[in-house]
Amino acid sequence: MNARQSLQPLLRYGILIGVGFVMIYPLLWMIGGAFKPNSEIFSSIGFIPQSPTFDGLEKGWKTSTEYTFATYFANTFAIIIPKVIVTVISSVIVAFGFARFSVPGRRFLFGVLIATVLLPKSVLLIPQYLMFREFGWLDTFLPLYVPSAFATEGFFVFMIVQFMRSFPPDMEEAAMMDGCNSLQVLFYVVVPVILPAVISVALFQFMWSINDFLGPLIYLSSVENYPISLALKMSIDVTEATQWNQVLAMSTLALLPSLIVFFVAQRYFVEGISLGSVKG
Amino acid sequence: MAQSSVALRDVVKTFGAAPVIKGLSLTVEPGEFAVFVGPSGCGKSTLLRLIAGLETPTSGTVRISDRDVTHVHPSKRGIAMVFQSYALYPHMTVAQNMAFGLKIRGMTKTEANARVKRAADILQMDQLLDRKPRALSGGQRQRAAIGRAIVREPDVFLFDEPLSNLDAALRGQMRVELARLHAQLGTTMIYVTHDQVEAMTLANKIVVLNGGRIEQIGRPLDLYRRPANVFVAGFIGSPKMNFLDGKVSASGVGATTIALPDGPVALPFGDGRIKSGDVVKIGVRPEDFRLARDDAARAFEGRVVLVEPLGGETIAHIALDGGAETLVVKLSGEAYVAAGAPIRVAVEPQRIHLFDSDGVAVAPKEA
Amino acid sequence: MYGNRSEGLAYLSPFLIGLVVFTLFPFVASLALSFTDYHLQDRLDSARFVGIDNYASLVDDRTFKQSLFVTLIYVFVTVPLKLAFALFIAYVLNFKLRAIGFFRTAYYLPSILGGSVAVAVVWRYVFAGDGLINQVLEGLGAGGVNWLGEPDTAMFTIMLLRLWQFGSAMVIFLAGLQAIPSDLYEAAKIDGAGAWRTFFRITLPILTPVVFFNFIMQVIQAFQEFNGPYIITGGGPLKSTYLLPLMIYEESFKYFDMGYASAISWVLFALTAVCAAAAFSSSRYWVFYAQDEAK
Repeated sequence: MNARQSLQPLLRYGILIGVGFVMIYPLLWMIGGAFKPNSEIFSSIGFIPQSPTFDGLEKGWKTSTEYTFATYFANTFAIIIPKVIVTVISSVIVAFGFARFSVPGRRFLFGVLIATVLLPKSVLLIPQYLMFREFGWLDTFLPLYVPSAFATEGFFVFMIVQFMRSFPPDMEEAAMMDGCNSLQVLFYVVVPVILPAVISVALFQFMWSINDFLGPLIYLSSVENYPISLALKMSIDVTEATQWNQVLAMSTLALLPSLIVFFVAQRYFVEGISLGSVKG
Repeated sequence: MAQSSVALRDVVKTFGAAPVIKGLSLTVEPGEFAVFVGPSGCGKSTLLRLIAGLETPTSGTVRISDRDVTHVHPSKRGIAMVFQSYALYPHMTVAQNMAFGLKIRGMTKTEANARVKRAADILQMDQLLDRKPRALSGGQRQRAAIGRAIVREPDVFLFDEPLSNLDAALRGQMRVELARLHAQLGTTMIYVTHDQVEAMTLANKIVVLNGGRIEQIGRPLDLYRRPANVFVAGFIGSPKMNFLDGKVSASGVGATTIALPDGPVALPFGDGRIKSGDVVKIGVRPEDFRLARDDAARAFEGRVVLVEPLGGETIAHIALDGGAETLVVKLSGEAYVAAGAPIRVAVEPQRIHLFDSDGVAVAPKEA
Repeated sequence: MYGNRSEGLAYLSPFLIGLVVFTLFPFVASLALSFTDYHLQDRLDSARFVGIDNYASLVDDRTFKQSLFVTLIYVFVTVPLKLAFALFIAYVLNFKLRAIGFFRTAYYLPSILGGSVAVAVVWRYVFAGDGLINQVLEGLGAGGVNWLGEPDTAMFTIMLLRLWQFGSAMVIFLAGLQAIPSDLYEAAKIDGAGAWRTFFRITLPILTPVVFFNFIMQVIQAFQEFNGPYIITGGGPLKSTYLLPLMIYEESFKYFDMGYASAISWVLFALTAVCAAAAFSSSRYWVFYAQDEAK
């Protein structure tokens, strides 16, 4: 009995460490490759560079196009920051409508909301493209964040609604008796209280959007508008021999914002997921 | 603060298909401390919310100071409410909580702060003003909630079971403070609770509710001495009144005889309403029983089943001879009763209550 | 709670507008487009109605059939594998480890980064002829494999990328496992149940709602996979990784045949809907909800 008991933790740790290592290795390898000279990349499997250099980073940053990665980073943020802001605002407003008002057909509409989360987006792709073309929005960032201003990502609305519902309405009633109209209640009382959920929404949207590839791919045609995702793809499209150390260097940089945000705000990710799924 | 009356006329409230308030009318006089009391589900909280404006009646009117406020927004009725859960804004300090409503109304900072200070003085909570709710104990949070109501200088205070989340000792303490507050401010107060001790000690007027209807309205001691029906008789007073089933054997104005399983009981009151042969209930409060002296006219005999010695008083549960009935008897001090021993108790006939077959009290005794 | 209906509608209005403009209208429009011969470079009103010609062509289109085939393989291999692995790791992790947070992070991280271009790029390199994997294999004495050049192995690398991202499903399973009260396990222990039996008779049944949720989400996402195949293999070799989303993209933006692409997107939609519907209707039989609250 005792042997089995002390074996168990050992077994668990063994599996966890083994699998964990294999999982993380490609990333470690990528970071290492960013600092290796091109020749070394294909010769060693260790991820620590034998002759570290900033060559990959320097040349990769400048890229072989007329723009540096500074432009591409700027573009990425020019898309994501408005997107996150409008997502948060519209999701909170719509969630408030669902959670606290008895609107006719509310249950049906909420069901529709959930259905849109499950809807495969590829079926909407072509008409949306044509619609934005008619608007004259091609090669701008608008198609990438305007829809979010209309709470089109139902998952976020759902998350906030669940969180709102977990609070009894007493505070809001007290605020009403203090003379607040519904918007004041929302702003002064509800939002401060549901802040953790709001932050989770912002973080998730940040992470999802920064990885968006198909959107920019079909809407952006000028290289000067390319975000990082397209610029990276471009760097491996070159017909002559790919400078892998540059590519890896830029890949590392591309993942850096996500990594930083993730490590700083880990708690919100895990809580956010359980909010949306297990309790949903 | 002005003193306002509150009047409800023929108020009905239905939620979906379920009627919660079934048509009632009542008036609270200016400056009165009225308590709505009743078991869970009787509609007392709903009634309070109707007065507050958090719900609108399905039909009927609500008037405050003789102004029809049935469809007026809660913030414009001149009322303030203390919630059962306190409903304090967790991200604001106590002072900010209290000043919030005032600022929304456009009051200047100086005036708002002055009011907050005044309220804090009344409640002796100056040291709590800069704390956030999570740094306060239950009793302190409650005080903050009351403070938030006071700063509005309302015409009517509404309390929704404010003490039910506190432990027993704190509850007793806060009861005294609320009574003091009412004496000091003089404002009309409407208070909801399921605890009849709170009702008895705080109220000028008690409204007993059951199933969405009013059972009785009156001063606390009136409800105690002359309950209008079985429900009120059983609800007010602890331990609960004892009820025994019987039949009328003789009835007349001024005297009635009731036949109980163990013998007749003569009551020195009566009216022509009940007739011989009617099924009735008699009620005796536990505290009205005494150990029977040998010359007692009518004694109840039985065996002690359980003794609860409380020191200041002793509660004995007695199984009556010849019946399935149990009496609960409250004797003062450390009474000499032993479990299993036989016992004889008696009660003065004037202190016996009589209820007809519908549970309505018969000829309530003169005060 | 606030009773005022028009106010409520005002709050819902962004959603309602967005629903109509960005979801309902495109949804119907794409169906309509699938019945036309519209090409991207033409004016919109030059589209001609061609009935079910597009769908009929699909039946004879070998590329489409190939695409459909590899997509189905992709979905029905990766989803069960990913869920099983996620559940397994969650189970191993569900232990009073001090380092549980560390491991959870380590596994979750790939799923956050995995959908990105950066990772797909790295993946292509990791499986290149002289890439990391082959270097390891050669170091162990085995020969290198032409991962991206052979149809079977190319599909394997794409699948592996998806499996690598099991972390998000794992975190959800972990939350589900931790929500199971330990009393149940203790009662089982007193009853004498061993580890296997406890897992299959107690843990798994309670987890079925979470399994169901994860299953639906994973299936829908798997059908939409685009980044990996596009960046790593470009759909090749020999269209062995030419998943349907890729075909839709190429038909629309490379060959400009939007009518045809719309038809394909509707087939994909119907396929996803059928799978989801099947899962929903079968859920009655195998999903067990502990609290029967119909909210």
